[in-house]
Amino acid sequence: MGEVKTVSEILQAEGITKHYGGVYALKGASFSLRAGEVHALMGENGAGKSTLARILAGSARADGGTVRVHGEPVEIASPLDAQRLGIGIIYQELDLFPNLTAGENIVIGNLHFPEGRVVDFRRIEDFCRPFLRQVGLTCAIATPAAALSIGQMQLLAIARALSMDARIILMDEPTSALFDDAAERLFRLIAGLRERGVSIVYVSHKMEEIFRVCDRATVLRDGETIGTVETQSSSVDEVIRMMVGRELRIMARAGRRAAGDVALKAENLSTAKLKSVSFEVRRGEVLGIAGLVGSGRSELGAALFGIDRITGGTLRIAGRPYAPGSPRAAMSAGVGLLPEDRRLQGLMMRMSVLENATLAVLPRLSRLGFLRMGQEAASLGPVARRLALDCPWVTAPVSQLSGGNQQKVLLARWLLLNPDVLFLDDPTRGIDIGAKQDIYRLIDELAAEGKAIVLVSSELPELLHCADRILVLNEGRITARYDAREATQEMILSAATTAVPSPGAQR
Amino acid sequence: MPDSGMLRRARSLAALVGILILAIVTSPTASDGSRIFLQAGNLTDILRQISLIGILSLSMTYVILTGGIDLSVGSILALSTAVTAMFLTRGYTTHIGVAILTAVLASAAVGALNGVVIAATRIQPFIVTLASMIGVRGLAKWLTSNQNIDIGFGRDLAAEFASIFREKAIVIGAYACAAALFWVVLARTVFGRHVRAVGDNEKAAEYAGLPIRTTKIWVYTLSGLFSGLAGVLYAAENHQGNPNAGVAYELDAIAAVVIGGTRLSGGKGSISGTIVGTLIMGVLTNMLRLNNVDSNVEMMIKAVIIVLAVAVQRERN
Repeated sequence: MGEVKTVSEILQAEGITKHYGGVYALKGASFSLRAGEVHALMGENGAGKSTLARILAGSARADGGTVRVHGEPVEIASPLDAQRLGIGIIYQELDLFPNLTAGENIVIGNLHFPEGRVVDFRRIEDFCRPFLRQVGLTCAIATPAAALSIGQMQLLAIARALSMDARIILMDEPTSALFDDAAERLFRLIAGLRERGVSIVYVSHKMEEIFRVCDRATVLRDGETIGTVETQSSSVDEVIRMMVGRELRIMARAGRRAAGDVALKAENLSTAKLKSVSFEVRRGEVLGIAGLVGSGRSELGAALFGIDRITGGTLRIAGRPYAPGSPRAAMSAGVGLLPEDRRLQGLMMRMSVLENATLAVLPRLSRLGFLRMGQEAASLGPVARRLALDCPWVTAPVSQLSGGNQQKVLLARWLLLNPDVLFLDDPTRGIDIGAKQDIYRLIDELAAEGKAIVLVSSELPELLHCADRILVLNEGRITARYDAREATQEMILSAATTAVPSPGAQR
Repeated sequence: MPDSGMLRRARSLAALVGILILAIVTSPTASDGSRIFLQAGNLTDILRQISLIGILSLSMTYVILTGGIDLSVGSILALSTAVTAMFLTRGYTTHIGVAILTAVLASAAVGALNGVVIAATRIQPFIVTLASMIGVRGLAKWLTSNQNIDIGFGRDLAAEFASIFREKAIVIGAYACAAALFWVVLARTVFGRHVRAVGDNEKAAEYAGLPIRTTKIWVYTLSGLFSGLAGVLYAAENHQGNPNAGVAYELDAIAAVVIGGTRLSGGKGSISGTIVGTLIMGVLTNMLRLNNVDSNVEMMIKAVIIVLAVAVQRERN
């Protein structure tokens, strides 16, 4: 025995890198887990937490770095490898087979359940029963997974991990879809598992939970490990500082404009995901919206744009009542929405740059239903120059462009439509620095022209830079309002991650 | 750099040229030594033979571009033959135009119903049109009491109709006009753009405020309408209203569309491709028949061609 190994370290990851295309999700991240501890993996959206969890569970492969289990270097090339090493994962979007029964979900692909040639339901029952009891899931083994509640599905997924003899269980944002009582039950289960020596990696960005459930927390930022703290001797503030990191110098935009008339006013706006949201945005103003994924920030856009049904409250545009029933209605009322996911919700990947850009304004570029091709081609020119759109030719398929240029094509669609109120949902996600700068400049220009801009962003420095005022959404409610000049990243992150006290007065 | 669409079109065109050459080479010769395949009569026969499937495949291209499918076109064609023949032979009208118009409008109505159900319920088009394929076939059989309605060769209205609309020039002309229409509408109109956009990414079409439902209703209506038109031509050519006509035509039409490079998943495809696909199938059939290949063997060869054609046009990723 040459060197002394820390026996208590059950899992160690060092120098883990992972990139998707040109974008690094992890840059030499490290992480180490002790036997029988609950260890939080924390960070902002895009910090790399989920990627690291997936690598440890064998569902993504690292480009570099080493993973050791009980001090031995291991290769985790597939979920089956992870299973052999005793590593189980509970995904945020639970990876159950909805049409299979609870029992079948546990035994399928399970190395500890020797399959016969014939499905033997009694054997499945005998195998599953103890694990279901262990997690406190009382449903019949023949219940289809789809018939379970989200909380029950999660317990089922944990039972499956236990049945695979997992000594390390990774949980990726396990409470994001749970109601309070289900979350409580989960916390008790986690405590029970720890008692029995199971180690748990708890991926989350909810502060309360972490300080309640976890022994230690490792913070990731931009794909790197910032540090690990004992929750006993640390504080929410310290962790938030680690998550936010470098003190970015906030450049206030030169020459703040006096905001104009109220362009959009929401009073007690409620939808399935929003709870009594009130705000207004004026012409010439950029209203920033901060919040975690799932906080209701995208749902706010969906409500304003006539996609989500509005269940309560009122909207006004330039003082007139506004009740959008469809995106079409929203567009004709002068509202535009740049959606969060440009590939899924924005672009027609098989169509050309030009066709994508002009899609929403075709009636204007046609006569009696026939396109005026020359006019269409000409319409893009000024907009493309303004966006500094870089594409070889406008008839190229939009799929051939870089992410930043694809986003510009989508922005071109809205510039052509020229709405008074423009909701930009995370417009710089996954694009290069140059394109980001172009988009910041554009936001500035549009505001200067008297447009009312609502800007959602996952990046706080970006919000602080671009917005005049900032609202923080948390679980569908506005939890803070700031003047952007006075707000700090710490304040915003705290308002975005602190649990919202369930108000007794409201439903 | 040519875009991938052009490249694929070039490939299917190359396939057509290849089959044409093969057909010329293998063609039996007439007594004067000329190749039968190349005789004007034979070439126009090919065009006339592909016209009905050709018309069906044009509107099928739109349906498939939106990401849908229409399995009911064969049944609608049968309904149209029945309605045409009934109106002409039973004295419901004294005007050929009225009979044709009724048949075509009835067919369009069935198509519109398909479209409305698909747009309103969001049940998969495969299922909705499978249902109407069965139901409309039943309707045609019920209307005709399961009998063929013969159109005679005399001097009556029905015979006059048949003699006009079985003319090669009329049949081929109808296909050519329909092809030109579908081509222009797809390439040059707002509607055509919407058809492709909806099939490319329906979610994004919603976020762009496009009239998704209206677009869908229209493509199925057009599919019904042109199936009806094909039915009118079928009735004239075969001198009968036949409730059993057009069985499996939907599959031939779909085959022509996919051979022409249109993706079944929607969003990508062209009318020119579909025309080439239809021609490939027509020339192939003609070549095999000229060489007295057993019609069962012909089906097997077609099967291979379909898979090959789609395999070459696959995008490499």
